[in-house]
Amino acid sequence: MTGARLRIFLPPIALLGVLLLLPAFGIQPNAVRLLFVTFVWMTASIAWNLLGGFAGQVSFGFAVFYGVGAYAAAILIDGGRLNPYLALVAAGMTAAIASVLIGLPTFRLRGPYFAIATIGVSETVRVVATNLEFTGGASGYRITEPRPFNQAEHYYTALIVAALAFAVSLFISRHKFGLGLIAINQDEDAAADTGVNPFVYKLKAHAVAAFLTGVAGGVFARYAAFIHPNGVFGFPISVQILLMPVIGGLGTVWGPVIGGVVIGVIEEEIVAYFPQVHLLIYGLLLIVIVLFEPGGILGAIRRLQRWVRRIRDRQAGKRTADARSKKPDEVLWGAGSGPGR
Amino acid sequence: MTSSPTPPPLLAVEALESAYGAVQVLWGVSFNVPHGQIVTIIGSNGAGKTTTLNTIIGVMKLRGGRILFKGEDIGTLPPHERVKRHISLVPEGRHLWPRMSAEDNLLMGAYQPSLRRDARRNLTRVYDLFPRLKERRSQLAGTLSGGEQQMCALGRGLMAEPELLMLDEPSLGLAPKLVDEIFAHVEQICKQGVTILLVAQNVSYALQMSETAYLMETGRITLSGPSRSLATNKYVVEAYIGKA
Repeated sequence: MTGARLRIFLPPIALLGVLLLLPAFGIQPNAVRLLFVTFVWMTASIAWNLLGGFAGQVSFGFAVFYGVGAYAAAILIDGGRLNPYLALVAAGMTAAIASVLIGLPTFRLRGPYFAIATIGVSETVRVVATNLEFTGGASGYRITEPRPFNQAEHYYTALIVAALAFAVSLFISRHKFGLGLIAINQDEDAAADTGVNPFVYKLKAHAVAAFLTGVAGGVFARYAAFIHPNGVFGFPISVQILLMPVIGGLGTVWGPVIGGVVIGVIEEEIVAYFPQVHLLIYGLLLIVIVLFEPGGILGAIRRLQRWVRRIRDRQAGKRTADARSKKPDEVLWGAGSGPGR
Repeated sequence: MTSSPTPPPLLAVEALESAYGAVQVLWGVSFNVPHGQIVTIIGSNGAGKTTTLNTIIGVMKLRGGRILFKGEDIGTLPPHERVKRHISLVPEGRHLWPRMSAEDNLLMGAYQPSLRRDARRNLTRVYDLFPRLKERRSQLAGTLSGGEQQMCALGRGLMAEPELLMLDEPSLGLAPKLVDEIFAHVEQICKQGVTILLVAQNVSYALQMSETAYLMETGRITLSGPSRSLATNKYVVEAYIGKA
């Protein structure tokens, strides 16, 4: 039992430790920036996966929460109105409230109809934000902070937020709430029959996801010091947030993390040299994943593990039979059927 | 079959009305399910049998009438409150979660906090009843055979420790041999003290194993009585059983 626990909790804690110590070894500012952006994306990716991966509700509207969080944080931080960290919490809360307002009507819809509705909501919000005067409308919002810029502080903020998001995701995946979400994902009617209220569960998952995405938006806004509606509320943001868990491995704990790294690297390293080429890469990645490995990168890794195990078993000859019967369907990283069981 | 000065029934449905939007399906359905019995509702496609069960569990809102469970009107309670009162539904077409293991599917049946305390004990009970499920506990439900899936659905229903177990077409899509097996299990469950409300298109089977039967046609109860007498009723035989 403790062995299994250790295998679940040790890797993320070790990883967090390494990342916390990293700046102490004096890495390049560019690398710090890359990691910062990756953490921001990772947070949104993990958040989206709670609703889209666990509960199976595909939303194309997460730019709303990202943008609302970014603007809320921007307005509160600007001119030192509020402690930036409190402002980030407030940004998350604002996004969560927005998610309830959006969820109440849209969760009456199922499957593709829900997805389409979220596109509509998201575009509406973008247009409204473009024309809203107190946010500066289309010309954007500039944030001036009454303290000097400190890259390390941004790095740690983003890292802690991403770690928090991961912890929430891991907790939910091992908690009965997560099991309820997976039940809704696989058969909503049966979930209702056993007494899970799909509507309420979706609203809750939506709110948690929106909170985390809003905080991510806020973290980014504070770092960038300038945001504009077509940037933070843009449809590409929604698509990118959705792509990460799909690339990494939908409905798993580690998938969205891996997806976040992939997108972060593409965004920061490749776009810098070949503008627009990232869209081509996203498209190709999506096609490859849908065609060959719907489980994403994590699915490919698991497949590889199975191959390796099979080859090893074959070499060991007779051991095959009992090796398989001993570990019928070992799940290394989260997900599987009943999370945490 | 005496039923005059007996205690009130476990479930009493009174003048139930139910509708999908503007389309009304149930038109004043009334029937009783006494303690410890198997009661069946028979009828053809679209008669409103499934709608009746869905309204009793609460996933469908009732438009009129009352649902009395042990004397309490549960008609406006949300589904999870009804599950907590030990009513469970085994839905038509099983509705298992295909990518959850058989055991997780069963445990989901005891999802309500008040039911979780006894989940382990009930799991043992289900495995005693269906040893086959114990063998397949870690297998994904979607990869079970049809019969095993039906057992799993039945088992999930039992995990809520039901006093009233509602079965919607438990023999749907199963080979005749398996149908026998499933119905044998249903009788066994009833003998353990679970009251059963059975909905089935397999009319002759349903009438054989139940004590009381109701015939439902276009959203109304058109005939009721002891199952034995319905089985010999000329109209029922001609319309639903066919002459042998």
